[in-house]
Amino acid sequence: MGGLDGLLQGFQVAFSIEGILFVFIGVFIGTFIGMMPGLGPISAIAIMIPITYGMEPTTALVMMAGVYYGAVFGGSTASILLNAPGISGTVATAFDGYPMAQRGEAGKALAIAAVSSFVGGTISVVLLMLFAPALAQVAVTFGPPEYFALMFMGLTAISSLSEGSTIKALISATLGFVFVTVGIDGQTGTPRFTFNNPNLLEGIDFLVIALGLFALAEVCFLIVNRKDTSLSDKANVGSTKLSKADLKEMSGPMSRQSFLGFVLGVLPGAGATIASFIGYITEKKIAKKPEEFGKGSIKGLSAPETANNAATSGAFVPLLSLGIPGSGTTAVMLGAFLVLGIQPGPLLVQDHPDIFWGIIASMYVGNIILLVLNLPLIPYISKLLKIPRPLLISLVIIFSLIGVYSVSFNIFHLYVLLFFGVIGYLMRLTSFPAAPFILAFILGGMMEQSLRQALTASNGSYMVFITEPISLALLLISVLSFAVPVIRGRLRTRQ
Amino acid sequence: MLKTMNQKVSIGLVLFSIGYLYLSFNLKEYPYVPVDSDLVPKILGFLLLALSVFLFFDKSSEKEEEKAKRVVPKKEIIVMCGVGGMIFVYILLFELLGFLITTALFIISCSTFLGYRQWKTSILVSIIFPGVLYYVFNYLLQIRLPQGILPF
Repeated sequence: MGGLDGLLQGFQVAFSIEGILFVFIGVFIGTFIGMMPGLGPISAIAIMIPITYGMEPTTALVMMAGVYYGAVFGGSTASILLNAPGISGTVATAFDGYPMAQRGEAGKALAIAAVSSFVGGTISVVLLMLFAPALAQVAVTFGPPEYFALMFMGLTAISSLSEGSTIKALISATLGFVFVTVGIDGQTGTPRFTFNNPNLLEGIDFLVIALGLFALAEVCFLIVNRKDTSLSDKANVGSTKLSKADLKEMSGPMSRQSFLGFVLGVLPGAGATIASFIGYITEKKIAKKPEEFGKGSIKGLSAPETANNAATSGAFVPLLSLGIPGSGTTAVMLGAFLVLGIQPGPLLVQDHPDIFWGIIASMYVGNIILLVLNLPLIPYISKLLKIPRPLLISLVIIFSLIGVYSVSFNIFHLYVLLFFGVIGYLMRLTSFPAAPFILAFILGGMMEQSLRQALTASNGSYMVFITEPISLALLLISVLSFAVPVIRGRLRTRQ
Repeated sequence: MLKTMNQKVSIGLVLFSIGYLYLSFNLKEYPYVPVDSDLVPKILGFLLLALSVFLFFDKSSEKEEEKAKRVVPKKEIIVMCGVGGMIFVYILLFELLGFLITTALFIISCSTFLGYRQWKTSILVSIIFPGVLYYVFNYLLQIRLPQGILPF
């Protein structure tokens, strides 16, 4: 099946009544969860995974794409209305979005965010459609050393680019890898670190980690801030109409940042946060009136929103074509794919073109629904923020618990979930980033497998990683990604 | 001696990595496998150990906002432990009493504990929310949540 046929078939699924309904449900729920302070796309996807069990894979994916987009947009909404970005990717949105909302133009700010997200998302999906199959063709030739080097690069990139201390990010990634070694070893059948507990033989499910480190850990923050009433005060947003002049002003940042954001999204570790900041900074530099930035500038809001959405689609390139997620969010998305029995990677576009193109088509539809159906509903969705915090906290806890129970049907894993909730909270308190942990946890199993396959094939010689040119290049990039910031830091302190 | 939070955390991590390494060195060996199951755990153990030592000597001090994040009133810690305890009891009773009863009890007690006093709403939510979820999971998604002592 060719690309066009595949895409048409994908659209058939996505544009069916069922497809639109599920995208809508996904977008709606995603927006709601994303608006909650702290709960971002990772929590949203993890919470929704159990709902997709038993669904037809394409329908389930269409819904998950909706959840993803919805959660990202929900995060922007929280930034604009409350100046409380739930996730780092929408921090830059608040720079100009919040001042605009304070001027009484919350509706307009939301509309700018939605239109920019739509444009950024749509352009980058077109780019994704062009690049992912091409990259998949290259990746078919990859062997275990290349795969290992690639995943290694992903992990070092997310660690060196994450906020705060690089050592802490690396420790977090190592810990994620450590916990994936629990259970029966797939190659020799040796039980590792199970303490003779049969419940641990199958290892720890990624959903336990995702829901524990993200959803439950955030619940702790919700508990501390449960009396915060700022959410319910901002339920009225006003008109969401945009004038022609507004659209004209947005067109520049939107067209530039769609491409820039996409490229940054493709790179492992960079992702939406860096794309949104770079987007904001570049637009400020080339703007005719840079002094307006930070005071409610249309360009200043449009740029990070376009860039972060373009980056979210860009992040799908390595996920779909290599099977390797480059960020915490795409790592959880990979988990969602695996739960549905879909293994993304270079063979996906060859073996299951319907699914590959179905995902891409659902991203188009997700973007459209976000703009057409979701935007007009924002005033109503934001009324949901009036849900009393104590009730909301109980509901998030229940969702996390049954999410884990419905994968394992084993009470033991619920205790493990509670344990990781505590760990996640402690990590937040001590400023250890959780995204490298989840990425390492998802990549760990694959990394170990390719490392051992490569070493087995080379009779235990580590030279195989250096003699293969692609693997060598990737490992060098990983080393450089650490060395450059360290050297630059040293030079700066000397000056 | 342990001046900063980083140093305290790094001691904990060092102990953890030593324990992990000890277990890795005691993993069962297979004589005819070129790369055995203990390779990766050993690498990870040493890596974690090295990183924890780096963290101990890391001179970059914490930012004020990072420190501020750690200030949690004692009262709130007690509340969090209370909620943790409730989750623990919920898990204990989950399969015994069944999803519907334990969830309803959890929602009422947890939201009341957190200071919500609108009885009508919380009772309504505690009946409707588990009811809908139970129906969706058991009948639409065919995922059996524990039925417990109820006949359905």
